Amino acid sequence: MNLLENIRLALEGLRANKMRALLTMLGIIIGIASVMAISTLGSAMTGSVSKTMDKIGGKNISVSLTPKNYDSQATLQPEDYITQDELNSFKETYADQIRAISLSSSLGSGKLNSGYVHKDVSVTGANPDYRLVNNINLVQGRFISDRDIQSSRNVIIIDTTLRNNLVGVNGDPTGMDITVKTKNTNETYTIIGVYEKVVIDNPLFNMGDDTRIECFIPITTAMSLNSASTSIPGYDNFTIMASANADTTAFAQITKQYFIKNMGALSDYTIEAQSMEAMVSEATSMLSTLSLGISVIAGISLLVGGIGVMNIMLVSVTERTKEIGIRKALGARNSAIRSQFIIEAIIICLIGGIIGVGLGSVLGVLGSSLLKFPSTPPVGPMIIALCFSMGIGVFFGYYPANKAAKLNPIDALRYE
Amino acid sequence: MRKKIIEMRGIVKSYYLGTPNELEILHGIDLDVYEGEFLSIVGPSGSGKSTLMNILGALDRPTQGHFFLDQLPMENVKDEGLSKIRNEKIGFVFQTFNLIPRSSALNNVALPMLYGGKSRSVRTKRAKELLELVDMTARSHHRPNELSGGQKQRVAIARAMANDPAIILADEPTGALDTHTGRMVMDIFHRLHQEQGKTIILITHNTELALETERTIRLKDGSIVENKINEKIQLEGSYESA
Repeated sequence: MNLLENIRLALEGLRANKMRALLTMLGIIIGIASVMAISTLGSAMTGSVSKTMDKIGGKNISVSLTPKNYDSQATLQPEDYITQDELNSFKETYADQIRAISLSSSLGSGKLNSGYVHKDVSVTGANPDYRLVNNINLVQGRFISDRDIQSSRNVIIIDTTLRNNLVGVNGDPTGMDITVKTKNTNETYTIIGVYEKVVIDNPLFNMGDDTRIECFIPITTAMSLNSASTSIPGYDNFTIMASANADTTAFAQITKQYFIKNMGALSDYTIEAQSMEAMVSEATSMLSTLSLGISVIAGISLLVGGIGVMNIMLVSVTERTKEIGIRKALGARNSAIRSQFIIEAIIICLIGGIIGVGLGSVLGVLGSSLLKFPSTPPVGPMIIALCFSMGIGVFFGYYPANKAAKLNPIDALRYE
Repeated sequence: MRKKIIEMRGIVKSYYLGTPNELEILHGIDLDVYEGEFLSIVGPSGSGKSTLMNILGALDRPTQGHFFLDQLPMENVKDEGLSKIRNEKIGFVFQTFNLIPRSSALNNVALPMLYGGKSRSVRTKRAKELLELVDMTARSHHRPNELSGGQKQRVAIARAMANDPAIILADEPTGALDTHTGRMVMDIFHRLHQEQGKTIILITHNTELALETERTIRLKDGSIVENKINEKIQLEGSYESA
């Protein structure tokens, strides 16, 4: 009595009760499909997270002044700010760990006017390192230089969209003057460069208004324009790009300790430093916890499906008591009867599993493309799902099959 | 001296219904059946016919006594061993046919060979031969519910022959059939007996049918009360003309 014959027998049995077999499979199909859909979606998400990390800088550490107590009405006092001197000495102390420090200061959003072109823009003051740290891809002209910083020049870097509006795709806007009016300022800047915006096609990182055009001016220019209304002696946040061989998570801690130690007493604020790596791994671990949670729920539906299979197999054994008696009278060994029923249960589960894997993969791919993640169904979970569904067949098929195998042939033959 | 296919000495079968009330069905049966014999076992219901048949057919074990089937001692045979004996030594023919409803006639006949581990091609070839022997070739792909009672019983006889068993055990094989088809079935048994020299044990309460066999054992209340050689009845004509 070989495997092939058993499979043939089992298929014969299932064919006799197609509808029942299908309904029994449904539990397995739903369970496997949800596990499969979740893992497809999950792997698509983690894949895109690590891809995005490369784009937005995996070596970055963002440092900021944050309130000690979020409930308090604390405002930053002038002495709280990190001054340029403090920053310089920090940079000297850890010269081997730091590749660049990006500083920025927002001037807020405003209106750009140049001839017929009127656009909403936001203006950010930046230092030369900003380009490297934030992965600014310059396509024309140059970025902010140290001399621009020193003399607080009114120069500006615009993006390609704005360039296209001003001078067309093939035009060169450098040297052009544009006027930008913000809440407190109304300045004319000379365009010195054009950058291409990095498109981050990841909804997880797609925060805030994406359509606004961002322009960069020297940070000193921005700060002096800002101080016209309020006097700010330093920075409340900056971003460090660690050198290639540095451990960013550890260096974030070092940075935090350094500033807490060297800045003296802060009123209501403290320094927080977080590496991008830590943030991303936090996000990824949150994602995997989430998909684990959903998988557990899917696992429960698999369990229910397995119980359904067991139930139907028990019904089937009772229904076929006489047949079992006949088979035994004809010389079927207990093991032959047992394997016939186990294989029948396995086949139910395996067919359910195959349908479930197919359905789940389609759902997963569909779902991820809806969320704009590129994805392919992962092969590992596919194989695990199929093996698992077979395991369910063995586990939940064993008891009914054993019951069938242990039937007394005389009683079974007499059963009506 | 012909070979003994069955040798029973002092076979007792009792059932435990609760602890003390032991119900003894068979009280010491002695029975010898020789190769190529056509034997009938008769008796009223409750006489222990079925119990004896279950023991003869290796479906059950005696409580006491010695039983040799085809010279094999049947004591201490495990369940798996009994399965093998049923498969190789015994061909069952039941009153209610007991065919597998979902399988074709051909697959029903092939089933004992499947459990005997024969290859598919061997099974199919042999099953076709057997169906031809009982004149059922034309119906070999029909399922039992597409067959008449007589046709079903012919398929069942073909199935009983599948592994060329030492004995055919027929339990009221004509009990569910009308006189005419019952006659046809009996003729097949006679043919198997005479042409192939099969040992056949017919269990029946029809004394007329019993008279057709070579020897009749009469059971009453769990004991053999008669063991009679029947006079040779001229039956050849009936199935030669059939």
